[in-house]
Amino acid sequence: MHDRRADATASPIARLIEAFHRLPGIGPKSAQRLAYHVLRAPEEEARTLAAALIEVKERVRLCERCFNVSHQSPCSICLDPSRDRTVICVVEEPLDVLAIERTRGYGGLFHVLHGVISPADGVGPEDVKIAELLARLRDVDTEVHEVIVATNPNLEGEATAMYLARLLQPLGVRVTRLARGLPAGADLEYADDLTLGRAIEFRQEVR
Amino acid sequence: MPARVPRVIKTEALVLRHRRLGDADRIVTFLTPGRGKRDAVAKGVLRPRSKLAGHLEPATRVEVVLAHGRTLDIVTQAQTLDAFGGLHEDLDRLSTAMYLAEMADRFTIEQEDTGDLYALLHAALLRITRGDGLHLVTRSFELALLDAAGFRPEWRHCIGCGAAVSAEAIAWSALGGGLVCPACRPAHPDAAALDAATLKVLRAIQDGPYEQAARIRLTPPLAAALERVMHRLVESVAERELTGQRFITEARRAGMAATAAAERDAGAAR
Repeated sequence: MHDRRADATASPIARLIEAFHRLPGIGPKSAQRLAYHVLRAPEEEARTLAAALIEVKERVRLCERCFNVSHQSPCSICLDPSRDRTVICVVEEPLDVLAIERTRGYGGLFHVLHGVISPADGVGPEDVKIAELLARLRDVDTEVHEVIVATNPNLEGEATAMYLARLLQPLGVRVTRLARGLPAGADLEYADDLTLGRAIEFRQEVR
Repeated sequence: MPARVPRVIKTEALVLRHRRLGDADRIVTFLTPGRGKRDAVAKGVLRPRSKLAGHLEPATRVEVVLAHGRTLDIVTQAQTLDAFGGLHEDLDRLSTAMYLAEMADRFTIEQEDTGDLYALLHAALLRITRGDGLHLVTRSFELALLDAAGFRPEWRHCIGCGAAVSAEAIAWSALGGGLVCPACRPAHPDAAALDAATLKVLRAIQDGPYEQAARIRLTPPLAAALERVMHRLVESVAERELTGQRFITEARRAGMAATAAAERDAGAAR
């Protein structure tokens, strides 16, 4: 059987297909299409792509304050003087920062945990950046009054949020959690009991 | 001729865990009453409008329809039967439920017969939800799970010579899985002392019905001693520390610190 694994001796195109194939969500056909697209594209486009790939590995690092990925540390959000320094939004992953930023409804700071407590996967509190959050809040210069826990609304996210609430209570910081309810365009018939129950419990007046 | 694998199975199940697969899918691990532990792919559950997502959270009892796939089964329908709402109101309950699910997952092999494990886990989750003592529910589940997995600890006779062990000078070995008499103790270097009250409760939980054991009043030192024994035992069988054990301890410690701070604040206000 033909071995698809490419090594240094394989043809450059086979190596490129293999490299694309390793990316998440890219199957063998998509990998081939991408590779042939690069082959046909102007050399400049390929060089830009290659340079961007190298640059992202060389320059992007974790912000020393919020642990978001950034090309500088502290990151642009932590340095932005217009951001509200009294609120920190705690998220699981850097992609969650982008999702919240897209809403344009939040102007505070962030803290990225880089994971969530999940005993089934062997991830305990010490494996995510909880100690770093505590250090931030214990800093004498801190202005933070509220921590919004924006972990995912699943079992692991709930456990992490409740654990954070307990840890932060002695610090006198207000701990809040993102509201839970029905997503836009949802169908009540298919909603699970917990979500529907919370949606009823935290219903709001129609204005 | 081998029996034909049915194309679709409809079963009740407890969700033990899930892990991400690709951009929007998850592999969900179910514990079923008659078909053991099974993994199945739930497609598109990471999308906000997924009809399945809310029904496939760990520590939920569901009714699922699984279609037989080439490598893994595929979840085609899921409906929550019991979300154990009470679990989500308290971190101690939630962390205990996570630990029980982790144990049920670690001590079973996929598609092998899991005996009464489904009934055991279901009963334990119901007890946690209705507010039973977490120590007793956990110890009772641990002992029953070890029994079901073929690692029943011996709390009456010496694991070395089989002699009945007297109430004085009791020692036990986690590696050996039970009591050791003074004569056999040198052969078990890991053996540690065990006090009579702890042994009595271990025996009561292992041998008697849960409702009877539930009448025992567990003082904090006794509950802590039982927890130490069972954690060591579970760790020795699993050959590693279970993260859930550690999380329960951490959550409890944080809870005590929070309570102390609240009391300090209340005292200062007076």
